[in-house]
Amino acid sequence: MPAAAVFAVLLITLVIVCLLVARPAITVARGGKVLAFLGLFIFPVLTGLLGFEDHVERSKETKFCLSCHIMEPYGKSLYIDDKSYIPAVHFQNNRVPRDQACYTCHTDYTLYTGGFNAKFRGLHHIYAQYIGKPQQPVKLYHPFNNRECLHCHLGARNFEEGATHAALMDDIKSNKMSCVGSGCHDMVHNASQVDGLKKWSPQQ
Amino acid sequence: MTETQDQDPFMAKRLRLAGTLIALGLVVEGLSLSWNHPLSFVAFLSIGGLLLFLGIVVYLTALVSPRRT
Repeated sequence: MPAAAVFAVLLITLVIVCLLVARPAITVARGGKVLAFLGLFIFPVLTGLLGFEDHVERSKETKFCLSCHIMEPYGKSLYIDDKSYIPAVHFQNNRVPRDQACYTCHTDYTLYTGGFNAKFRGLHHIYAQYIGKPQQPVKLYHPFNNRECLHCHLGARNFEEGATHAALMDDIKSNKMSCVGSGCHDMVHNASQVDGLKKWSPQQ
Repeated sequence: MTETQDQDPFMAKRLRLAGTLIALGLVVEGLSLSWNHPLSFVAFLSIGGLLLFLGIVVYLTALVSPRRT
């Protein structure tokens, strides 16, 4: 749902609630009781759910991920002017949507999958960012899952007909062989050295 | 005027409290929705969500409470 619609529902709810606070006597009538039930129960729940959905959608945006200081080098790595850097070449050539670049390859981040422990880790990230001390360097909790590559590449002709990929397909699909950790496509963010590397500028 | 005279003061007080909590929760949620940041998500859930929840609980408990005269 568009953000404008969420704000519209929120404003309608706020108007009803303010009316009820200012004139609670209107709930004596049957219509007032219905209005109170809508304004103090149905609409607030609806607003909360719509707002939550909007927040989750917006948390998939690249700028959301990069709003934490610790993620800045990872954002810069998307602009490295070197075709061997997998995230950079995907970002610069629109192989992933630029406004959701992080989420496209990290769909298993704490907010989107996993149980209570995963959500707790997400809260811990916020705690570490603003109160504690973030762990350096940033590491994934689990090895990178080939699923993140295959949800785009699987079924693509140039991927499946490539001799190397075809020969290793079973191992790739089962994660026995990592796409990014087996010496094939292992040049990823390289965040610690990103400042010294040549960058691509979209204005060029 | 008749409606005002029939209004249960206890219910009116609870409606005002519930409405105030919900209105505050809605304001917090509205502000958090206009800021795309991890902290705004936390504020949305922890402050806005809590205020909405408390307001709804106050309203629902007022509905099922015995009528005071």
